Amino acid sequence: MFKIQEIREIIKLVDASSIDEFVYEENGAKVKLKKKGNVTEVVVPKKEVVAPAPAPIAPVVEAAPTPVATPAASAPVEKAPVNENTDLHKITSPMVGTFYQAPNPDSPAYVKVGDKVGEETIVCIVEAMKLFNEIEAEVKGEIVEILVKDGQLVEYGQPLFLVKAE
Amino acid sequence: MTSIKDKILQRFLAADGEPISGQQLADELLVSRTAIWKHMQALQQDGYTFEVVKKKGYKLLAKSNKLDEMQIAAHLTTARYGHKIHHYDEVDSTQILAHEFIRNGAADGTVIIAEKQTAGRGRMQRPWDSAEGHGVWMTTIIRPNVLPHQAPQFTLVTAVALVHAISDVCQNFKPSIKWPNDILINGKKCAGILTEMVAEADRIQALLVGTGINVNQQQEDFPEELHSIATSMAIEEGQKIDRAVFVAKFLGHLEHFNDIYVKEGFAPIKTLWEAASGTIGKHVRATTLREVIEGQAIGITEAGVLEIRTANGEIKSVYSADIEVK
Repeated sequence: MFKIQEIREIIKLVDASSIDEFVYEENGAKVKLKKKGNVTEVVVPKKEVVAPAPAPIAPVVEAAPTPVATPAASAPVEKAPVNENTDLHKITSPMVGTFYQAPNPDSPAYVKVGDKVGEETIVCIVEAMKLFNEIEAEVKGEIVEILVKDGQLVEYGQPLFLVKAE
Repeated sequence: MTSIKDKILQRFLAADGEPISGQQLADELLVSRTAIWKHMQALQQDGYTFEVVKKKGYKLLAKSNKLDEMQIAAHLTTARYGHKIHHYDEVDSTQILAHEFIRNGAADGTVIIAEKQTAGRGRMQRPWDSAEGHGVWMTTIIRPNVLPHQAPQFTLVTAVALVHAISDVCQNFKPSIKWPNDILINGKKCAGILTEMVAEADRIQALLVGTGINVNQQQEDFPEELHSIATSMAIEEGQKIDRAVFVAKFLGHLEHFNDIYVKEGFAPIKTLWEAASGTIGKHVRATTLREVIEGQAIGITEAGVLEIRTANGEIKSVYSADIEVK
């Protein structure tokens, strides 16, 4: 679980930054911060912390408060999404690259507006230099809007989809 | 844990053609001579040939033509890569299998290798011809400690590693890289690389580095329609290549250059990539999903992105495209 000092530190950093929304998840515990004008809201869902799942991956972001600063500083300008409804979850691109709606030009799109998605549903591919990245929804809900076009170059952090989370 | 069978094979590979007696093996490995005999039978099933030398024991006559773990391990110089190799006679695609291994927590440097793929794939899911026994169809799972947006450069790192490995075992030609990472010999394709990433928003779980390398095919092994565009290392070198030695060399370079990229960034890799590039300075046509860009390839950026100067002097950055070198 998070220490109260850590959460306090995160709030301070997010508050001082230009980002509107911040989510940090570790071992089943999740901190989600959303800014509404000048109000900062803190949501800590009371998720049962089960025995720490064996993490097969080298923990990249374990060193507590520092990771907050880095993504915030390097986060690119969030292009104003068409839909300003803050209740909608944005699926963003993890890297610069080409957005593909389908695995190949002859296949149907992974998802279309109105489709229900689960956390692990693949919604698109972002490719750069023959590195293919299948993007998962990471949220359960319904696709409300697709913000980019097939074959378009997308920026790091650019919103790709709006999802109405369940 | 190395199995008794693998330990026996290790001893024969190390003996370099000298005979070893069954009794000696049994004593060393603390098993019965009958057990040794059973394992020797299994090795013969795998394609190894032994000769019985009177009063001296068994002599390894011919290695199996398969790219199995032990043969590659005999030449490995790496700290991590290739320490776990899963070898198959036939799979649909080593990439598909690699996804399963990743879900089960496969370690950094785990290799999946197949003699034959029935559904090998290239960019945009185009089929890749991966016939039996002559090529190297493999996926290397890597788990680098960098952020997802730094991952695409690994595809250029892989190309640099491949070029170095090919040059280690072939002397009669110089391979070149076509952006971002096709390996060409005398203008024909010899190897393709396709990398997939499994990542969350802020961290890489794993990269699946898929390499299809034409090693020992002869011209007639390729379908007619590929004759003008595909080649193999053996065709260009004029002799067969030991695939196990080549794979071990490749894994050595891949580990080395990946570590350099993670520690020092892309700059040192960029220099090596440029030195082997057959694209820079050439007139190229880049076909993307939305447009065709034609012009002179003037270089790659600090992120590995191709820059093309078009006829009207405009410089376009290319992240994804099929490149035709004129």
